[in-house]
Amino acid sequence: MSATPRPYGVIAEFDTPADVMHAAEKIRDSGFLNWDVFTPFPIHGMDNAMGLKNSKVGWFSFVGGVTGYTLGMVMIWWMNAVDYPIVVGGKPMFSPFGAFPPSYELTILLGSFGAIAGMLFLNRLPRLHHPLLKHGRFRLATHDKFFLVIETTDPKYSETETRKLLESTGSKRIEIVEE
Amino acid sequence: MSSHGESEKFVPLDLSRWKNLPIVLMVLGGIGALIGLAVDPKQFGYSWLLAFMFAVSLCMGGFFLTLIHHLFDASWSVPIRRINEHLGAMTYQVLPFLFIPIGIYAMAPAIGLHLPSLYPWMNELLTNPAAAGHDHALQAKQPLFTVAGFFGVAAFNFVMWFIFARGLKAWSLKQDETGAAECTLKMRFYASLGIFVFAVTLTLGAIMWMKALMHEWFSTMYPVYYFAGSVWMTLATVYLVAAILKRQNGQLREVLKQKQFYFIGSLIFAFTVFYAYVTFSQYFIIWNANMPEETFWYAVREKGNFWDLGMLLIFGHFFLPFLSLLRIDAKLTLPVMVPLFVWAWIMHFVDLEFNIGPTPHPNGITAGSVALDLACLAFMVGLLALVWLRNFRAHAPYPIRDPRLAEGLDMYVAPSDIATAPGHAK
Amino acid sequence: MAEQTNLKLAPPPRSLERIPLVQNNRSIGWISDQIAQIAEGKTPMWWWLAFIPSILLATMLFVMLAYLVSTGVGVWGPGHPVMWGWAIINFVWWIGIGHAGTLISAILFLLRQKWRTAVNRAAEAMTIFAVMCAGIFPVVHIGRVWFGYWLFPLPNSNSIWPQFRSPLMWDVFAVSTYFTVSALFWYIGLVPDLAVMRDRAKTKIRKFAYGLFSLGWTGSNRHWSNYEKAYLILAGLSTPLVLSVHSIVSLDFAVSQLPGWHTTIFPPYFVAGAVFSGFGMVLTLLIPLRTICKLEDVITMRHIDLMCKVTLATGSIVGYAYGMEFFIAWYGGNPFERTIFMNRAFGTFWWGYWTMIACNVVFPQLFWIKKFRHNLLLVWILSIFVNIGMWFERFEIVVTSLYRDFIPANWGYFRPTWVDIATYMGTFGLFFTLFLLFLRFLPVIAISEVKGVTPQADPHHPLGGAKGGHH
Repeated sequence: MSATPRPYGVIAEFDTPADVMHAAEKIRDSGFLNWDVFTPFPIHGMDNAMGLKNSKVGWFSFVGGVTGYTLGMVMIWWMNAVDYPIVVGGKPMFSPFGAFPPSYELTILLGSFGAIAGMLFLNRLPRLHHPLLKHGRFRLATHDKFFLVIETTDPKYSETETRKLLESTGSKRIEIVEE
Repeated sequence: MSSHGESEKFVPLDLSRWKNLPIVLMVLGGIGALIGLAVDPKQFGYSWLLAFMFAVSLCMGGFFLTLIHHLFDASWSVPIRRINEHLGAMTYQVLPFLFIPIGIYAMAPAIGLHLPSLYPWMNELLTNPAAAGHDHALQAKQPLFTVAGFFGVAAFNFVMWFIFARGLKAWSLKQDETGAAECTLKMRFYASLGIFVFAVTLTLGAIMWMKALMHEWFSTMYPVYYFAGSVWMTLATVYLVAAILKRQNGQLREVLKQKQFYFIGSLIFAFTVFYAYVTFSQYFIIWNANMPEETFWYAVREKGNFWDLGMLLIFGHFFLPFLSLLRIDAKLTLPVMVPLFVWAWIMHFVDLEFNIGPTPHPNGITAGSVALDLACLAFMVGLLALVWLRNFRAHAPYPIRDPRLAEGLDMYVAPSDIATAPGHAK
Repeated sequence: MAEQTNLKLAPPPRSLERIPLVQNNRSIGWISDQIAQIAEGKTPMWWWLAFIPSILLATMLFVMLAYLVSTGVGVWGPGHPVMWGWAIINFVWWIGIGHAGTLISAILFLLRQKWRTAVNRAAEAMTIFAVMCAGIFPVVHIGRVWFGYWLFPLPNSNSIWPQFRSPLMWDVFAVSTYFTVSALFWYIGLVPDLAVMRDRAKTKIRKFAYGLFSLGWTGSNRHWSNYEKAYLILAGLSTPLVLSVHSIVSLDFAVSQLPGWHTTIFPPYFVAGAVFSGFGMVLTLLIPLRTICKLEDVITMRHIDLMCKVTLATGSIVGYAYGMEFFIAWYGGNPFERTIFMNRAFGTFWWGYWTMIACNVVFPQLFWIKKFRHNLLLVWILSIFVNIGMWFERFEIVVTSLYRDFIPANWGYFRPTWVDIATYMGTFGLFFTLFLLFLRFLPVIAISEVKGVTPQADPHHPLGGAKGGHH
């Protein structure tokens, strides 16, 4: 156990969404990799400003939905037409019409599970601890302030240069966050 | 939505070669229809009816989009509203004239045309009153299903459309000059009563003109089913018209942005689903209850090539557009949307064939009947396009002084009390 | 943002200006403070005054259920010929109320209706609690509740599987999916706001509890990106879900051959009615809430106005369906169908029919007039009428189709028992207990979403810090 905490990154605080967005554009263009922006609400256009690609959550949901529909159809066919067929109301043992409503519901159910599980997986959530949450000012990231954090693990990180770069974006308050 | 990529997506369309298309369609379609009339006068009536119902879909669709624009107090749709208003106006400018042959055909046996009436119930009533007296399904519908009822409904519809579609358009044009808030309020007033008028007239039209071809059949969903398909097809048309106008008209280029196209695209998607929902519900409920007085309507549509048309509708009217519009960016991609427009027209045509066809052709439609259907359709579409273009050229291409225009374009305009000098503030 | 345009446009006339979504130019921080404080600090007196009667009523519900389970379903009113009584009426009524939440959270989200942010959280909570109340009835009315699991495709000692051609099985899938997805949607929406509560928490317990349930949310934009996508997909999935649930409920009736039940317009008609009643309940709850919790700047008159309009629109659609049913009953020429409808309007239960027409079709038409939409007391009273009207709609559908069917020898009458009434009243207790607990412990308005629709949140707006280049 080391007694001196390692620095986690450098954090810059901003007052308006426009300021943090311009800062993000600058950091993106400087080629940083391990950095992020923290805001009380999603800012329209920030993904672009950070150079993020379209989220992959959709694929998880799609796989979930297809599984749900197939599962529903196969289950109903097997239960009502194969394993224990009973004639009811002169209707066919299995019909895609009658089996549609439950299969449809299962499509939605598993599609939703896919979307949520995909989101949590891609965000590596839930997590019980995060270095930033210990930082005093960071509490305002869910209130009314906007933060930009560059991690020390970034290959381009340098204690003085990065700080200067952040200063040039107009942040009034730049601090080091400890691990 | 970012602004880059706009120039690649909207490749300029060179439409000078297509300038005469409406006239060509009208003339060729008209000649074809006349030949058809000479060769197979009975089929001509049904073909004309099919084309007429297509025209009703388009005009009523435009009327509906205008109505909901005002009811929702929407702003994004201001730039496309003029397109819809001119479509809606044709409900009284064109449709009454197109209805005349249907009126004649409905009355055919009574006016010495040596043809059966377009509508079997009317035929019964005019040629064999004794049989009509024993037709329970017909007797139940008295006095609606009489000659007076039939023409009364038509007259009612056209008068209502004249009052309301015209009112909406007139106040909109007035606002182009004055920019007054009063015009917006007037349009809202017309829209508020108009939506009821729309519901009632569309219901009556769908029942009396199309469902009545098999008057023994009944379904509460039927007008909604026709409505869903109509608005779907109209939206695809509005998308295409807007995309063309964005190229052709410098004024519209300033206001038709990605947002407008994206939203129309989303609405097309929504109505794709709504149509499927309504169609499936109607079929599913009738299939499940399995009562002969209802199932016969579908049973006759499983014969001959109507079976294939039904399958085509399931996959073509729903699955194909659904899957192609699922991606967000598809709604802004012209190589997707232009074929989709063509496809929507084909599907609505097939849908109408599915509804109208079995009355004259119990064993399936023929190449000849489809050709005559298409000829009538070409004539009407050419005519509608001509009237529409005439109207469009006569007025501003969009509501230029609509108070919601700035909001619809996401422009920040300082509120009026900041703009006015302190001395003028109330 | 929108592409640049060279147009010069005038501002809208004063009379057509919109009320901003958050009034009085409140700051982003104010939104957190004002909303979070409802669930912080000392419990106010009004809360106890509401909570105590609610929990007493809820207790009565459980007493009634215990009485029913120990005695038998015969303590309820259903019996020949009305085999479906209050249980199914209350089930459909509550599940219908549950539809506004998902409509607001999903459909209005897809329609980019930004005003939804002020009301979606409370409406979603209402949805979940209403579905819980609804779920009680079908579970209990099966009689031997301990065999309730037979409804699910689980292996049992008889080796018989559920019978999937029955609409009641579709209901099981629809309602349980609806509950699960609504609850998840609600929770996912809550996560960023739970982080707000965590970061404001003063006590250890609160910090721990909110910290645990906020899943370690930091507000990272990389997270927001996936989060927003997931939210969009959930909205996209919930929209067909909300349509399907009440459609499937309507199929319980419509796939039968009974006059008055078997009609093809039922699915969209039920959905419109559900949304209608849901908005009625949202208005009933939010109008007092905004005053008590001083949320007038967040739930503005514009919100009330818009909700009135939704009520009006769906009420009119329902009116269209009533008219269409009657018209086709006449048009179709089936004498039984005609008799049923004449019976509805002029038979033994005529009072139910006309209450329904008055509350669902006639009174909401007042909302055409702006003055009425802005009269809070009137809106609140009408919203209660909506709920009454929708209850009578289900009563009419269930009872009048059954009490006089094809053979006069089968005719009868329907009367609820006191247990019916007490159970139904008890569900209100459960509903309000849960809702009050929600008010006390969770942010009642979606804080981060409301922040996101203010001009201060728009980096292209002067208030969001945009400098020059923009208007």
